[in-house]
Amino acid sequence: MLASVRSATLLGVDGHPVTVEVHVSQGLPSYHVVGLPDTAVRESRERVRAAVLSSKLEWPNRRITVNLAPGGLRKHGAGLELAAALGVLGAFDGLPDGVLDEVGVLGELGLDGSVRPVPGVLALVDALARAGAREVVVPDANAREAALVPDITIRPARTLGELRASLIGLEPWPDAPAPPEPSASEDDEEVDLGEVRGLSLARRALEVAAAGGHHLLFTGPPGVGKTMLARRLPTILPPLARGESLEVTRIHSAAGYAPEHGLMARRPFRAPHHTASTAAIVGGGSRRLTPGEVTLAHRGTLFMDELGEFPPTALEALRQPLEERVVRIARQSVTMSFPADFQLVACSNPCPCGLGGPLCRCGDGARARYRRRLSEPLLDRFDLRLAVTPPEPGDEPGEPSAPVRARVVAAAERQCHRYADWPWRRNAHVPARALMRVVRLAPDVDAAWRGVSEARRLTGRGAARLLRVARTLADLADETDLSEVHVLTAASLRDDVL
Amino acid sequence: MSAPGRAPALSSADVAYARLACLPGMTPRRLRVLLERWPDPHDALAAVRAGRAVAVLLAQEEPQPRLFDARRVGELTRAWSEAAAFDLTPMLWARRTRVFVDGRPDYPIADEVPGRPPVLLAEGDGPDALTRPRVAIVGTRAASVHGLLDARDLGAFLARNNVTVVSGLAIGIDGAAHEGAIDAGGGAIGVVATGLDVVYPRRHVVLHDRVRRHGLLVSELPFGTGPHRSRFPVRNRIIAGVADVVVLIEATATGGARITADFALEYGRSVLVVPGSRRNPAAAGCNALLADGAHPLLDPADVLLALGLAPTGARGWGAPSPRPVPGGDAPAVLQACRGEAATADQLAARTGLPPERVARAAADLERSGWLRRDRGYLWPS
Repeated sequence: MLASVRSATLLGVDGHPVTVEVHVSQGLPSYHVVGLPDTAVRESRERVRAAVLSSKLEWPNRRITVNLAPGGLRKHGAGLELAAALGVLGAFDGLPDGVLDEVGVLGELGLDGSVRPVPGVLALVDALARAGAREVVVPDANAREAALVPDITIRPARTLGELRASLIGLEPWPDAPAPPEPSASEDDEEVDLGEVRGLSLARRALEVAAAGGHHLLFTGPPGVGKTMLARRLPTILPPLARGESLEVTRIHSAAGYAPEHGLMARRPFRAPHHTASTAAIVGGGSRRLTPGEVTLAHRGTLFMDELGEFPPTALEALRQPLEERVVRIARQSVTMSFPADFQLVACSNPCPCGLGGPLCRCGDGARARYRRRLSEPLLDRFDLRLAVTPPEPGDEPGEPSAPVRARVVAAAERQCHRYADWPWRRNAHVPARALMRVVRLAPDVDAAWRGVSEARRLTGRGAARLLRVARTLADLADETDLSEVHVLTAASLRDDVL
Repeated sequence: MSAPGRAPALSSADVAYARLACLPGMTPRRLRVLLERWPDPHDALAAVRAGRAVAVLLAQEEPQPRLFDARRVGELTRAWSEAAAFDLTPMLWARRTRVFVDGRPDYPIADEVPGRPPVLLAEGDGPDALTRPRVAIVGTRAASVHGLLDARDLGAFLARNNVTVVSGLAIGIDGAAHEGAIDAGGGAIGVVATGLDVVYPRRHVVLHDRVRRHGLLVSELPFGTGPHRSRFPVRNRIIAGVADVVVLIEATATGGARITADFALEYGRSVLVVPGSRRNPAAAGCNALLADGAHPLLDPADVLLALGLAPTGARGWGAPSPRPVPGGDAPAVLQACRGEAATADQLAARTGLPPERVARAAADLERSGWLRRDRGYLWPS
């Protein structure tokens, strides 16, 4: 009178295998779920019973105990219901022995016996595959997404009744869908860098940011095109590699943003509003930890417009993921780390009046207070900082995105090639200790670098950032070694703008 | 005058004056009324301790006595007799405070200045700053890079010509003028709008200390008085009174520097004004004064002429060093600034050069002192 079914639950953005054990015994009719279920899991009782009855199957009026193992892991959501229902059938002779061996089961049930989609299927199927399952039953709506996981047979399920029929061999399995191809034509609004007039240096900064993975800060008066420019960054970023794409799709799927066209081809571009809470930015929650914007922007861009308007705690919380490209969140019950390898692009007004530079009307105190909203350690993490001014009369529309993107892709490939033996892939990620071995300055370039660093009174860290940007400029120009002009251009792309 | 580091000898009358000036709620007008009634400060102090002084003020405060309220009269009488019992002597000695009393030969403000404080407190190791000609350099706190450079250069120029710079130790023009003068080895007088033991603004704590070592800090306010916005305009009359000539470098249309200039004109001081661009909001007050007939300051030696001194040495700002414009794109880039602050982006657009060449030219110009960087902009200097 015992059956056990494999399933999986989400913890953060990762799937964890769960064994659903169902025991049916003599006693007063009852249904108990044990093993750290959350409310949604506990509520499953009514749905499981109704679904079984709606499918014209027999519900055992006995004492039913559902155990979710491992007992120490907190289980979330309704994705274990289908497994529980099959377990009940299996424990009460509704299924032949052995049909559920090495089969993972995922899905939520409707009262009518239909199988409903669940979030995070990619991560869950992945976890089951790694745990040794050879087949996995998934809701029909999730089947395309699940097919992205290699080396595992996908069994789509529409209703509990059909699923049972296929399991005991009464009917053939429905065809498993083919894994979807990355679709590039998924953008609803097509923007292009060619629409931006003038701003040659700001465009250069955007290109450098895209090529080297540098964090970028634009300041300038309202309406001058900072946001317009920043929003066009995705059009020049290199596409996601296949592995990266899977990783990003998995995260977004786990966060409940099921990608309808399957694999994500574009790098994510997240633009949270400045009223976002700290937990929404870095991730959090009290019991169930959910990924924040920094994780959803993994391998992509986090765009923060009006940087100074974000809550100071959220901005300070960004510092650790910016440095380590992983965000670690600790709560009383659980500690987790989420991937957070994102590129930060931010815009800010230069001062309360917004005009900045020679036209600023702000008092010194007001300006200092405004500046204090952004801490020095945060500002320091921007490799590129630039004041943006309105286009000059007679400025021509600039270069369109396509050729810029071609240069960016070539520069990114050069970096991948150069860093093949190192654990990092982008110039922005080169650690300080390895930097001098990577850039190898000629004596005259070294002199120029030292001269600029001294004139600007740069700290050691600031001077190192200058070199990383200069390295990207050289990559964009397809030059093996840094020259003086790269260092000087890097210096004009990293200014004290506030 | 005593040598730096040695305490000035304070007479018992000096201490009595200081104790009167440091009573809570004391104003220059009230102090003057008391000293007219009791010319000897010991008598005035005794009257305050005995509670007889407030009645005298009450009789004088016409036409609208602010003290008519019986409760407030009682409070002030009590507060004064308590405070007057406190002997400041040890503190004054420890702080090496100087006391300047109106009517004595060392009092730094001329007799024709109305509303001058009867008693001024001062501290610092450079009292001879007062024996030299004195020029006030004032201006806005929200100064541009150009304004700050002018203030520094003028401060240094005056210091080299043995002229003391008077200012208010504020952020911006005031601070830059003090810095310039002290860096050039000159003396400075900082007139503060707080007690002498209070440092405001906090950011100028180092400058405060430098003025104390190289000149004098002056205040009419009791020890412990904190900053209050009502006290800064009142303080400005002392700056105008102590100085022989007042120079404005970048004043907003309504700022404190305009108030100082108005006081200076009222006291018959020369007011010199550095003209500014109409595009510079920090120069609007200067240009308005010029329109009203103030003397434009085009050459720092004009200040010496206004003081009645013969300018010695070269005219012109600072020590002019030959500054060749670097080659390459630098002349075009400098030209493209049009004499105003611009971003590298604007310079690239105006010259039609790629950003790399602008960056190189800007770096050359920065190195040779033609351009300065501030908050993302390049400023011609």
